[in-house]
Amino acid sequence: MQSVLTVNLSTKKFDEYQIPPDWKKDYLGGASLAARMLYQDLVPELDPLSPEAPLLFLNGPLSGTSGPAVGRFVVCALSPATGLWGESNCGGFWGPELRKAGYDGILISGKSDEPVLLLVHDDHIELQSASHLWGLDPYATIENVESDLGLGRVRVATIGPAGEARVPMGVIMCDHGRVAGRTGMGAVMGSKNLKAIAVKGSGTVPVSNKDSYDLIRSKANRVLRQDNMTRVLQELGTASGGDYFNYLGSMPKKGFSAGQMEGADLVSGSTMAETILVGVSTCHACVIACGRVVQIENGKKQKGPEYETLVGFGPNLWLNDAAFVTRMNDLCDRYGFDTISISNTISLAFALFENGTITKQDTDGLDLIWGDAEVVEMLVHLAGSRDGFGEYLALGARALGRRFGAEDEAVQVNGLEVPYHDPRGVSGMALVYATSPRGACHNQSDYFLADIGQVEEDLGLNFFDRHAGAEKAANVAKHQDWRTVFNSLVICFFSNVPPQTVVDLINSATDNNFSIADIMESGERGWNLKRAINNRLGLNRTNDKLPKPLLQPLQDGGAAGFVPDIVAMLDAYYTARGWDPENGFPSKEKLISLGMGWVAADLWPEN
Amino acid sequence: MTIVFPSEEWVLTLKEKLNSDEQYQRIAKNWEGDIIYVVEPSGVLEEEIKFYIDLWHGTCRKAIMLKPGEQQEAAFVLRASYDNLARILKGDLDPMQAMLTRKLKVEGSMIYMMRNVPTVLDYVRCCQEITESFLGE
Repeated sequence: MQSVLTVNLSTKKFDEYQIPPDWKKDYLGGASLAARMLYQDLVPELDPLSPEAPLLFLNGPLSGTSGPAVGRFVVCALSPATGLWGESNCGGFWGPELRKAGYDGILISGKSDEPVLLLVHDDHIELQSASHLWGLDPYATIENVESDLGLGRVRVATIGPAGEARVPMGVIMCDHGRVAGRTGMGAVMGSKNLKAIAVKGSGTVPVSNKDSYDLIRSKANRVLRQDNMTRVLQELGTASGGDYFNYLGSMPKKGFSAGQMEGADLVSGSTMAETILVGVSTCHACVIACGRVVQIENGKKQKGPEYETLVGFGPNLWLNDAAFVTRMNDLCDRYGFDTISISNTISLAFALFENGTITKQDTDGLDLIWGDAEVVEMLVHLAGSRDGFGEYLALGARALGRRFGAEDEAVQVNGLEVPYHDPRGVSGMALVYATSPRGACHNQSDYFLADIGQVEEDLGLNFFDRHAGAEKAANVAKHQDWRTVFNSLVICFFSNVPPQTVVDLINSATDNNFSIADIMESGERGWNLKRAINNRLGLNRTNDKLPKPLLQPLQDGGAAGFVPDIVAMLDAYYTARGWDPENGFPSKEKLISLGMGWVAADLWPEN
Repeated sequence: MTIVFPSEEWVLTLKEKLNSDEQYQRIAKNWEGDIIYVVEPSGVLEEEIKFYIDLWHGTCRKAIMLKPGEQQEAAFVLRASYDNLARILKGDLDPMQAMLTRKLKVEGSMIYMMRNVPTVLDYVRCCQEITESFLGE
């Protein structure tokens, strides 16, 4: 891998950081390597929005090559949404462009005294005033930056007004609406007065053994092009599973309180493909093209929503109009909101209004009645302006619940709102949400797909019933390890190539001789390191839980009557992980077995 | 007579099963589409075998084993090795797992397929229930 550019916004000094070789071998890259690099800085007394808080953009060893769906990069920091490990990866072209400029990452520290744009043009690094960009939405910012710089096509990662205002659901956006959405990385960027990072590179992305890499990635792309999942994602987008998830009862409705809804399938990828879809979009060198281009009543071709947004602003709010969701998606993009967090928080507001916890006096006179699209749109604007009730909406579901004495009603784990895969329909997600290092998350493990059959035998994974309990705990842990590998490479989860192919790509790109078992151990190491970071920040077993609304059975639909036995599942999970059953820390023995004795000394200090 | 997969008897028995199974008829009531199954050589199967099955609103209108080289068009083509299909029919490999891990290839409208996953899975159940034996057993 190449060096990491370090930028101190307080002193306006730049430098290069060489990643120690053994870190690259142990953690590969991306999120796991970021955890290793930031470990010593992420301590309980650190304010995530302070100048001292680091913000790390990092690629992986496959990022930006012509491999199978490897256009992603990751952003990591202490999360202002959760107070825990923050991590959010993003597709598009920005990460590959950074590697072409000669850097594998950018480590930001300090705080600028005015809004700035960071320009990385090969080895030319420059901070420019961005005062004229402050307040602009991400799309307008990208257009202005491209125009101002006059360098032709540049790749821009930027924040919107939400990030500027340090809202914990503020995102970082790049390219044509690709988003690092979760854990408030945009707020961290905003706290540093860093409006955008523009990148232009003229080099090539390095791999250790180019000839063998080219052969393997060519074969991998051919396999991927012919894969069923690729064809499904091409034709239907990320909402391709919508019909089936609705049938299984794993598609949440009415703030996770209803099992069925007439017309819920109108937000599925299949319906969208037959109605508003007019094209597709891709990330760097991707043969899948899961991105949607749609045309709605305004006639403009624009970014189409993906599954989470379709459900979040659809059945989750008792709505089913894909065109409306498209408009809300654009609105959230322009404010710079994470669509999962804001739609989940709005559904909590509806639920609290329905049960009488809040009234029109709290909502600035609005009646919050399920299915009222006009009110939903008004609430997004309120959150964007942070006026009145909007101030609480912008802080997320946990904060909104706390404000009105109803934190238990918020469908969140450790401060991150639950995405739209109900663990009562696919029980593996119960463990995934409870143990994810960044709060409730479907991108540390997409076990909802494993629960319907996407289990690779070559990894030693088994297929369990979607309503199985503790017996699937070890399988979930193994799946998390595998996806931790993906998040370190950084490779898209949709890259459905055989595991051995992934290992061959790594070996060829990094000049190693890993086996599948070696790579799985690397994933396990990354998972345990993030856990250790969180343990040092105060997280323990009491944090590993599901919110109350997910522990109540649904009355109808494909998940009716089922509630995951999360306590039994966690007990089995801790055993499988080698974690202490009392405090939930990785045991000293486990850490030492993973070569992490230096972490064991922090978590288990000798008297 | 033992019903062996893959064979002419197997596909004829499947037709009878689909036309008499109430659960399948209920779940598949909206399905419209014919399918060709390509059983690719592997293990004890040395030559490719194809079945043509015409499914329509919960009934099976036609089910035959195609002769070698016989051409037939269909809305969907499902392709898998004999070994993997045998594992599916024995219940050792879940059909969704096979589709999601490159062991069973689907050609045809993915929009239609994704809307009808429960129909496909119940169809597989019927296939499993009629299969009594496998080649070489």
